[in-house]
Amino acid sequence: MSYYALLFVAGIAGSFHCIGMCGGFACALGGDPRGRGATAVRHALYNTGRLTTYCFLGGLAGGLGGAIYTCLGTRSQPGVPVLSESLGAVQRGLAVIAGLLMIVMALQFFGLRNLRRLTTGFGGSTLATALRSLLRTRGHAAPLAFGVVNGFLPCPLVYAMVAQAASSLDVLSGCLTMAAFGLGTFPTMLVMGGLGRLLAPRWRQHGVRLAGGFILALGLVTLARGIVPMTAHPHHIWHFA
Amino acid sequence: MTSRVTSVPNALCRHCLLPLGRRGFVHPVNGESCQFCCYGCCIAYQVKSGSGEASEAAWLLVRLGAGGFLSMNIMLFSLLVYSGAFTGTDRRVLPTIHLLLWGLATPAVLILGEPFLRETWSQIRRGRLGSSALIVLGSLAAYSYSTLAVFRLGGYLYFDTAAMVLMLFTVGRYVEAAGRARASRDLAPLLAAESESATVVEGAEEHRRSVREVRAGMLIRVRPGERIPVDGLIVEGCSHTDDSVISGESRQIAKAVGDSVLAGSINLDGPLLIRSSGSGDQSRWAHICRSVRDALQQSSRTQRIADRWVGAFVPVVLVLAGLTLAYWSQRLPFDRAMLAALSVLVVACPCAVGLAAPMAHSLGIGQLARHGCLVRSPGALEALAVTRLIAFDKTGTLTLGSPHLVDLASDGVGEEEVLARLAGLERHSEHGLARAIALAARARGLDPIATEDVRVVPGRGLRGVVDGEVVAAGSAALMHELGWQLPPALVERADVMATSGHSVVFIGWSEKPCAGRARAVLSFDDTPLPEARATIEALRALGIRVMLLTGDHAGAAARVAATVGVEDWQAGLAPDAKRVALDQCRPRRGAVAMVGDGLNDGPGLAWADVGIAVGSATDLARETADLVLPRGGLWLLPWVVGRARAVRSSVLANLAWAFGYNLIALTCAVLGLLQPILAAAVMAGSSLLVVLNSLRLERLPGPSYPGARRSSSAARAASQPQQRLEIPHTWAESSSPRPWPEGQGFSRRIR
Repeated sequence: MSYYALLFVAGIAGSFHCIGMCGGFACALGGDPRGRGATAVRHALYNTGRLTTYCFLGGLAGGLGGAIYTCLGTRSQPGVPVLSESLGAVQRGLAVIAGLLMIVMALQFFGLRNLRRLTTGFGGSTLATALRSLLRTRGHAAPLAFGVVNGFLPCPLVYAMVAQAASSLDVLSGCLTMAAFGLGTFPTMLVMGGLGRLLAPRWRQHGVRLAGGFILALGLVTLARGIVPMTAHPHHIWHFA
Repeated sequence: MTSRVTSVPNALCRHCLLPLGRRGFVHPVNGESCQFCCYGCCIAYQVKSGSGEASEAAWLLVRLGAGGFLSMNIMLFSLLVYSGAFTGTDRRVLPTIHLLLWGLATPAVLILGEPFLRETWSQIRRGRLGSSALIVLGSLAAYSYSTLAVFRLGGYLYFDTAAMVLMLFTVGRYVEAAGRARASRDLAPLLAAESESATVVEGAEEHRRSVREVRAGMLIRVRPGERIPVDGLIVEGCSHTDDSVISGESRQIAKAVGDSVLAGSINLDGPLLIRSSGSGDQSRWAHICRSVRDALQQSSRTQRIADRWVGAFVPVVLVLAGLTLAYWSQRLPFDRAMLAALSVLVVACPCAVGLAAPMAHSLGIGQLARHGCLVRSPGALEALAVTRLIAFDKTGTLTLGSPHLVDLASDGVGEEEVLARLAGLERHSEHGLARAIALAARARGLDPIATEDVRVVPGRGLRGVVDGEVVAAGSAALMHELGWQLPPALVERADVMATSGHSVVFIGWSEKPCAGRARAVLSFDDTPLPEARATIEALRALGIRVMLLTGDHAGAAARVAATVGVEDWQAGLAPDAKRVALDQCRPRRGAVAMVGDGLNDGPGLAWADVGIAVGSATDLARETADLVLPRGGLWLLPWVVGRARAVRSSVLANLAWAFGYNLIALTCAVLGLLQPILAAAVMAGSSLLVVLNSLRLERLPGPSYPGARRSSSAARAASQPQQRLEIPHTWAESSSPRPWPEGQGFSRRIR
C-alpha cells in the first residue's frame, strides 16, 4: 500500500504545478451564490469529474498494459506463478518506458521549454478556451462536465501517471494508481477554489519546481524498477489484488 | 429546436464551409439560426463559438461532459468486472454493480444517443436509412439486452458497449468536423468575401458598408493588414500590396498615389484611400469568390459513386447483421451472437467514406484559389489529374498576345486610308489585333472612320458598312466567302508574310457587297512568352504530351513551336477542326486538356475534357472553361497539374482506406472476431486517419516561378495589373477564330 501513498504524495506535490492551469479553472469556477455549502458541492463535483477521467485513463492504461503483456507473454503457461520470467520482462520494459517518460516530463518543469509543444500542442488551448463558457453555467451538471473535460486537457503530470498506470498491467491497479494521484491533487485544488488568487503568484514558481522534483524522483524509482533485477524488490505490490 | 433545411438549397455549412448536402440541418446557436452539414460540425461550431454567456454552447458541453462522465464510469466498472476484480468473496456485490451500471447507462444512452436518434428519425421520415440508423440500432440493442439481463435473465451486461459506441461516434463526428473546418480554412476569406464590409469615406464621416453597396467613384479607406474590398485607384497614401490571390504569385508590390489596386489583394503596411472604379460585386475578386462557392457545391464523380455505395450499404449491413445473429445464435450463447451482430452494425458505419473526397477537394480548391487559380468543379480537378495530353492554343497563351504591325502591302490605295478604315472597323472588336491596329493608326495620327452595322464572322473576321460601302477585314477565307477577288500581288505578299510566321489580315471594301476585292494585306507579329518553354518542359516531366493547335499559318505555328519546344503541332485549324484534332487524340490518350486564352477558343475549351483558360474568369461562369489560371499565370500550370494529381491520389487513398477498412473489419465482425467497442474505437480512428491523410495535402509546396529572374514583361504585368486587365485578348491568327459573340452559344460535350 505504501506505493499508493507515494503516489498520493506525488499528487499533492504535483498539484502545485496544477495551480497554473487547473488552479486557474478552479478559481474561475468560483463560488455559488446560494452559499458555502453549494460552493463546496460545486467544487466537489468538479473534482469528482476530474478524478473520474483520471481513473478511467488509469484503468484503460492498466488494461492496455495487461493486454500487451498477454500478447507478449503467451509463452507462460496458465497456472505459472504471477511473477514469471516473461511477466518480469514485460513489466520491466513498461517500467523503463514510464520512468523515462516521467524523467523527460520532469525536466520540462526545470526549464526545457521546447518540450512544451510536444505535450501541450494537441489542441488543448482551443478546448480550454471553449471550456470557459462552461464556468459560468449554473446547475450541478456543468461543474461535473467541466471536470470531466478538464481531466482530458494535456498535462505532463497526467501523462506521466498514465504511463505509471500502464506499467501496473492491471485494470484495478491502474485505476487505483490514478485515483491515488487524483486524490492527492484534491487538497490544493479545493484550496485554490476557496482561497482564490491569493496564493497563486508567489507559490506558483516554487510549486512547479517542487512538482518537477517529485516527478523526477518518481521517474527514477520507476526506471530503477525496470533496470534493477526483479529479486531486488521486496514485494510484488503491483498485484496485491 | 433543430429542423431540416428546406428553403436554402445552395448553402454552406457554418462550421466547415462545405455544402450542406443531404444531412444538412438548421440549429440555433447563440440566438442565431445556423446551418450545419452534420452533427459533428454542429458540436464543433458550438464548442468553438462558445464565448460569453452563450448558454447553447455551454449546454452542449455539459451534455457531452455528463455523457462522458457516465460512460467512463460504466467503462471503468465493466473493465473491472471483465478483469475479474469481483470474483471469489467479492462476488456478492455483483448485482449491486449491475444495478449501478444500469443506473449510469440509462441517462448516458439518452444523453449521447439523442442526436443520432433524431437524425435517424428524420431520415426515416424521408424514406432513407443512413449510418446513424446503424449506430442507434446497435447501441439500443446492447442497452435493451443488458437491461433485460439485469432485471430478468441474468448473464453478461453490455452497457459499456452501448455507451462507448455512442461516445466514440460522437468523438469521431467531432474529429471529422474539426478536420473539415481545417481543410476549408484557406477558403474562409473567399467565402466570406460577399459579406465583407468596406470603410466608405463620405465627407468627414466614415461608414462601414457591405461590399455589395459600393459603387464606382466612392472613396474607400483601407487600413494596413486589411484586404482591399474593391478595384480602384489610390488617391492618398502609399503601401505594399500582396496580389497573390489575383496573380498567383506571393510578392510585395509597391503602390503609391495614382496606382491601381485590385480587390482581394492585401494592403500590407500603409493606410490607403482608394477611389472605387467599379461596383464591389463586379470585381475579379468577387468572381473568384462566387466561382469557388459554386465549385464547392458540386460533387465529383468519385464522390457520387462513393455516395451511391454508401446508400446501398446500409440495408445490406442490416441484412448481414441479421444473418450474423441468426448464424451465431445457433452455435453460441445468444449474447455472444448479439455481440457479433452489433459489431457488424458498428463496424460497417461508412463514416470515413463520406469524408474521403470533400476534404481533399476543398483543400485542393482552396489552395489553388489562394494562388488565383479557379476550378469550376471538383470533377475538373479529377479529370486534370488523369490528363495525359495538353493541347495549347498559340496566341495569347504561349505568346504575349499583344501583337504589333510589322508590314502593310496595299493594292492601289494609300496606307492611311487602309489603316483608318481598319481602325474604324476594329474599334468594335475586343480582338488583340484591334489594339495593334489602333496603336498603328494613332502613331500615324489617323482618326478611325466611323463604321456602322459591324458584325463578327466567327473564325474569319469582321464586316461593317461605311457610307453605304461594305468593309470587311479578316482571313483569305473571309474574302473567298464574300466572293471577293484577291489580287495575285497581295496573295503573293501574304504568302511571304505567312512563311515568316506572321499573322496576316486582308482588308477590302466595295459598294456592291458581292463584287468587292481585297485592297490591302497587313502582317502582325507576336512574341512567345518567356516562361512558355520552362512550363512545357515541366509538363513533359510530368509525363504529359504537349501539342500546339492553332488557327494560324503553319509558318507562325512552326516558329512558336520551335521556340517553346513543342514538337507536335497542327496549324490552320478552324474552331471545328480543333475539336476534330482533340477528338483524334482522345481515344489514344484518355483525357485531354486544352489551354487557351478563353476568348477565341471557346469551342475547343468546351470540347476538351478539361478546358483551361488563362486569365478569363468569366469563362468559368459561361461553362467554357473548367479551370482558369490568373493572367500571365501559364507558369502555374505544372503546379496545378501536380496539385490535381495529389488531390486525386489523396481521395483514392482515403476511399481505399475507408472501404478497405470497412470490408476487412466487416469480415472480422461477421466471423465474431471483433468486439463492438473495439470496432467503434477503430471507426473513430479511421475517421482520424482519413482526416490526417487529407491534411497531408497542406504540406505540399506552393508554386515557384520558373527561373530565378523574372522576365521584364512578367514583372511589368505584375506591377501594373489594372493596366494589364484592360488589354483586350488577342485573336492574332489570320485564319483563326474571331472573338466569340456573346449570343452565339455552344453546347458543352456531354460526358
